[in-house]
Amino acid sequence: MTNPISVGLGEIVISKNPEDVLVAYGLGSCLGISMIDPANRVAGLLHAVLPDTLNGAENETPASGKYIDHGIENLLSLMAQAGANRNRLAIRMAGGANMLTSPGLKSTFDIGTRNIEKARAVFQKLNLKLTAEEVGGNKGRTVRVYVAENRVTFKVIGEVEQDL
Amino acid sequence: MLENNTFDQKLLEMLTTITSEGIKNAADGFSGMIGRKIEVSNPSLELVPLLTIPEIVGGPEDDAVGVYLRFEGDMPGQIMMIIPYQKALELADLLMDAPAGETKQLGTLERSALGELGNLCGSFFLNSLAKTVRANFRPSPPAVMVDMVGAILDVVVATAGGVNEHVLLVHSNLMDGNRSVKTDFWVIPDMKALQNLISKNYAYD
Repeated sequence: MTNPISVGLGEIVISKNPEDVLVAYGLGSCLGISMIDPANRVAGLLHAVLPDTLNGAENETPASGKYIDHGIENLLSLMAQAGANRNRLAIRMAGGANMLTSPGLKSTFDIGTRNIEKARAVFQKLNLKLTAEEVGGNKGRTVRVYVAENRVTFKVIGEVEQDL
Repeated sequence: MLENNTFDQKLLEMLTTITSEGIKNAADGFSGMIGRKIEVSNPSLELVPLLTIPEIVGGPEDDAVGVYLRFEGDMPGQIMMIIPYQKALELADLLMDAPAGETKQLGTLERSALGELGNLCGSFFLNSLAKTVRANFRPSPPAVMVDMVGAILDVVVATAGGVNEHVLLVHSNLMDGNRSVKTDFWVIPDMKALQNLISKNYAYD
């Protein structure tokens, strides 16, 4: 039996339990970033909302994932604490859609694109390589991380689940 | 940051009165457009922690239609109407004057009709607000989204989230006689709007 665990807005969940499936439901402009160490079978999923911590505010808590900058760092250190080896990490990212396609709103509110750019910059800064990504567009996505299978999937409304 | 103590009893009462009027007016516009009397439930105001928003609407993976307007002016903010997908199909039938059950999916025409509905409700709402608080509002064109509830609500979360930990949610249902249209009508004023409301209108009461 599989055990779905919902990863809500601004949350990070780490699991070593093969029965767990970490799920970030309905990502719009938010980003779902997963890290898996296949050898030690540790998996983690971050559901980040916004690109930057405002005005250099403190990192809220070590498990906070609201902002992409601190979120990725927090995910990385929680993975390490759970026994993951940084050099083996498969990192995948999905989401960052632009939900508002109406003319006149797009440029001001395209937080999805800003989220993606921020995440790429953070990966580069931390010298981390992305294994796969499914980002942008204007459709929401649900992301699932199957701990037992070292597998990450995404699903768009009205379509079938696909491997990422 | 918007915190609980910003919302004293008086401000909440004032907002309840203003938005009740606005939503009744929006329902009248709605009724006029579809040619049936639309009732409106009494709006409730809630101060909601930003990150729990998707849970309030139910399953974040449920299919829904969102109609979004942003308004600028003295009291800027956002309006989002959320309609469960099945209900949106029924509404599209009503709007297009088609027999019930005819609309099976939302094409360009149906989306446009729903966008117009949102536009109309939003404008009626803002007109009423403009009269009550003597301010001006400039609404954006409507954006229509057909997607998962969570993804639609990301719009609200992301635009309000940079500044606020909580958002003020004005929540109401529009009902069509025996059949419930069950439309969530959310109004999310910007912080600036609330500050202006306090400074401009507190005295005259």
